Amino acid sequence: MSTAERAHLEVSGLTKRFGGLVAVKDMALSVGAGKILGLIGPNGSGKSTVMKLIMGIERPDAGSVRINGVEVAGWPSHRIARMGAGIVFQHSRPLHRQTVLENITLALLPDKLTQLLADPKTDARARAIAARVGLSGVLDRRPATLPFADLRKIEIAKAIARDPQVLLIDEPFAGLTAKETAAFSELICELRDDGRAVLLVDHNVKSVARLVDRVIAMYVGERIAEGSADEVMRNETVRRVYLGGSLETAARPESSFRDTATPFLAVDNVSVHYGKAQALENVSIHVHAGEFVAVVGLNGAGKTTLFNTISGLLPYSGDIRREGSALRGHSAAAIARGGIVQCSEGRDLFVFMSVRENLDLGGQHLSPAARAEQIAGLFDLFPALKERQKQAAGTLSGGEQQMLTIARALMMKPMLLMLDEPTLGLAPVILEQISKALERLRQTTAITVLLAEQNVTFALPHADRVYVLEHARIVWEGEPAKFAAEMGTGYL
Amino acid sequence: MRTFSTARILLVALGVVVLASFLPLWATGYILGLLTLAYYFGVFAMAWDLLFGFAGEVNFGPTFLIGVGAYTAGILDNLYQPPIALCIAAGALAAVTAGVVLALPALRVRGPYFGLTTLVAVLMLQNFVVVDAHLTGGEIGLTVPDVISISDATNYLIALWFMAVSGAILFWLSRSPVGLILQASGQDAVQAGALGFNVTKHKLAAFIISAFFSGLAGALLVFYLGSASVGTLVDITVGVQIIIAAVLGGRRTILGAVLGAVFLIAMSEALRPLGDLSNFVVFAMALVVVLLFPSGFFGLLTRTKEQA
Amino acid sequence: MPFWDCFVASLLAMTADYSSVVGPMLFWQILIDGFAISSLYALGATGFALIFGVSGVLNLSHGALMVAAVVAAWAAGNDLHAGPYAGAALGIAVGFVASLITYFFIVRPLQTTRKIREEEKEIFILTATLLWGIMISELIAYLYTNNAKTVAPIVEGVVSIAGVRTPSNEIFTAVVCWLVIGLLWLLVNRSKAGKAVLAASMNPRGVTLLGVELSQVYIAVWAIYGVLVGVAGVLLGMFLGVSSYSVGPLTASAFSIVVLGGLGSVSGALIAAYVVGYLETITAYLISPAYRTIPALLLLVAVMYVRPHGLLGRR
Repeated sequence: MSTAERAHLEVSGLTKRFGGLVAVKDMALSVGAGKILGLIGPNGSGKSTVMKLIMGIERPDAGSVRINGVEVAGWPSHRIARMGAGIVFQHSRPLHRQTVLENITLALLPDKLTQLLADPKTDARARAIAARVGLSGVLDRRPATLPFADLRKIEIAKAIARDPQVLLIDEPFAGLTAKETAAFSELICELRDDGRAVLLVDHNVKSVARLVDRVIAMYVGERIAEGSADEVMRNETVRRVYLGGSLETAARPESSFRDTATPFLAVDNVSVHYGKAQALENVSIHVHAGEFVAVVGLNGAGKTTLFNTISGLLPYSGDIRREGSALRGHSAAAIARGGIVQCSEGRDLFVFMSVRENLDLGGQHLSPAARAEQIAGLFDLFPALKERQKQAAGTLSGGEQQMLTIARALMMKPMLLMLDEPTLGLAPVILEQISKALERLRQTTAITVLLAEQNVTFALPHADRVYVLEHARIVWEGEPAKFAAEMGTGYL
Repeated sequence: MRTFSTARILLVALGVVVLASFLPLWATGYILGLLTLAYYFGVFAMAWDLLFGFAGEVNFGPTFLIGVGAYTAGILDNLYQPPIALCIAAGALAAVTAGVVLALPALRVRGPYFGLTTLVAVLMLQNFVVVDAHLTGGEIGLTVPDVISISDATNYLIALWFMAVSGAILFWLSRSPVGLILQASGQDAVQAGALGFNVTKHKLAAFIISAFFSGLAGALLVFYLGSASVGTLVDITVGVQIIIAAVLGGRRTILGAVLGAVFLIAMSEALRPLGDLSNFVVFAMALVVVLLFPSGFFGLLTRTKEQA
Repeated sequence: MPFWDCFVASLLAMTADYSSVVGPMLFWQILIDGFAISSLYALGATGFALIFGVSGVLNLSHGALMVAAVVAAWAAGNDLHAGPYAGAALGIAVGFVASLITYFFIVRPLQTTRKIREEEKEIFILTATLLWGIMISELIAYLYTNNAKTVAPIVEGVVSIAGVRTPSNEIFTAVVCWLVIGLLWLLVNRSKAGKAVLAASMNPRGVTLLGVELSQVYIAVWAIYGVLVGVAGVLLGMFLGVSSYSVGPLTASAFSIVVLGGLGSVSGALIAAYVVGYLETITAYLISPAYRTIPALLLLVAVMYVRPHGLLGRR
């Protein structure tokens, strides 16, 4: 039985619900031997869930998954693995107490309780695989001592060891340099050329365009487009989801802000590491009092890390100053009380408390009178919240939750409001409402806003200045009007 | 390659055991008795380390398995007086069965629930022993008519070589491919499943092996002491001491557990002059170790080696 | 939850059955005693659930802290010849201090250390609190022997309820328990600080981002826990008495109740406390006091097989 004859992955009608949330709806795809299919989607689109469903790490609520013609939906993951499927996880997960060689050897072992003697043949095979991926020099080292790229190599080595006919790879190039990415691409092509069926999951088309034969785009759990990489990149729906429609701007020039010498917020050469991966590299931005600044970038670019660093939740090297005085050394809560408030990507609502209670908690530092006034103002800004003020936050729709998150942050009367991807997973109608609210804030108050977004069409009309964050670095800064001209098409 | 090969370590350990076998030539009966106890304790701790260190499951009630093995053997002897070997075999078998019964709900739950399940098991056993006093001797304890031997030296050697063989088997297991799969199951069950390993099957196997050695050692202990009681075999405090011994010696080393056991027993004896306060001091020291040196003896040793 | 409905229905049926079989006197005795015991359990379990819900810690030294409070109250009466009120105050104070010691010297260091991997911290904290509890019980046994101790009750005398002669102390116990639980409810649901604590149990990050120092929330929670444990302990001492042997069973019953009710659900713990309390009382009266902890344990085992998240658990 050669790999070329049998390798095939076919998925249809795949559905998965987590409580009330439909993570994947009616998903269908198929990959044949010697082909690479790209599955693209922003955060929350369900693409990682699809992988987990195929691999049996999650059980589907409905649908079929056929590997090499055999129906495996609902099987436990170890049976699916033995059926010929293999997965390379997005985050490296080696066994920390074992050496590199042992990690690879593990992948070669059969699922038997009687393996009591080490097999020299297995050892030789493990060494050969290590050589193929370039790990021969570090076989006796433990993962904690290795650089990021080597950890990814261990993951690929494990996949090769399993010799799967269907290979699922999740965000293969995240955190890698250009050279490392090229080396990985080559490995993946080799694996494809062996006759395997490969499913590549990533958040943008650009990084995998060269590898894939076809691409399927996902959004909020459903397929929205399929075709060649080029076709999908040009597809209307896809562009709207990622970038929105045409790009309009209404910026105030930087010179109109008075604090040019000492901007309200100055981030200077900040670098942050997440374990081995570099999440931010020498990032410098500044925000003037009263300015609306947008930081745009795709998933994994580092936007959330930047916000968490400013909020004081992560250790960093470099300097962050607020009106000239350093933020380093202050606790996260102190920074928030000081007027720099973040609306996190995950919203962090108190789900069992009512809308009103969430708002009250935001305004706990205010006097009862001031709090009541603030709430009245916010209900004016977001009428939907007023209607639902007694409802538990967890039962609100996505859009209402986002509005509540923003309202709650505004209760703190922040000087700098940081919004992390407010449009994530929301329908266009809700985006309109949030957009209008932001516009009102911009025109009627002196609030400073730092907006991190993937959706450029949403971000640009509100921004006075734009930064582009790509792979942990700032790659562009300028006026929104120039963004379309200089960055627009290359963005996706 | 590992720092030291399995064979080499076992050889060194064998050397130590052989040396220790000569102890009866000049040590007092008192010391031999202490060490005998320590060796059985060491087996308890090694069995626990296999389950925790490898399968990653914290068993708060190792004394459940030990108690089942010990009391089964003891009760059987009291009732029917079959040959000692049969009682011991029955004890081991009972412990394995108990291990399976415990594993089934325990493996379905994660994190704190698992530990709590094991604690509940111990409490139930304790209750059962106290309540069924006519069978088990209740809180006073059970005495068995037979013992393996009256000679201190013989008991010492039996305990020593039992511990040596158990340790060798458990250690070899931990270093074998199966041990590697167990470690993967404990550290990252999702990854292990994705690599094709039936995690539940392996953890259940770890449970059974741990139960077997615990029960066997418990049964042997009954026929050494000539008695069994809740206070020596079932109580939570005994279970905690076993855990401490394993942590002191170094989790995931198997052999370290023996060091921890010997240290703990020696320490309890050394502090005997303090009277009732001795227990307090031992536990206080154990707490200090947990707080400040969580890697235990072996952990300290291996850490300095890796830094060198 | 069909399981829960059936359970309650059969419990009610059993109660009706018993009252006709055992006669009204015994029935009322069980009802009253059971209520008092359950209220005590409820108070202790609420504290245990609070610590778990907010701090994420299953404090296995719970029983030891309670016993420490009782012994302090007893020693005040025995050695210092203090009155029952002073003794009770000392007991509560000891509970308060012991709880904070537990947090600052055992739980927090483990939560913040770099020497242990994150996944293993929970287990170390469980072990450390268990050790700490044993240490306390050994110390008590050393200083004051293993004998049972009772504390002079604040309320003396006997009242007659439905023809049953009941010590007034029992009524007092139940009333105080519910008063404290009520106060706690008010504190958590109506006060600003209390809501911060509740929010912290749902989303610690969210609370930080709103400018509340989590470290202060944790200290507040352990302080409240200390008072709860102190009150529960002193009441227990006045009602039934304790010895250093009570440490284990007290911790066991607290976590059984919290697991039965569902880790993370305080209302679940309250209901479960009454289930366990009544099971124990009924067993003690109708079968034998020696067997009283068994039905509750059996129930716990059954629940863990069938519904590991407990009756009302969220996780």
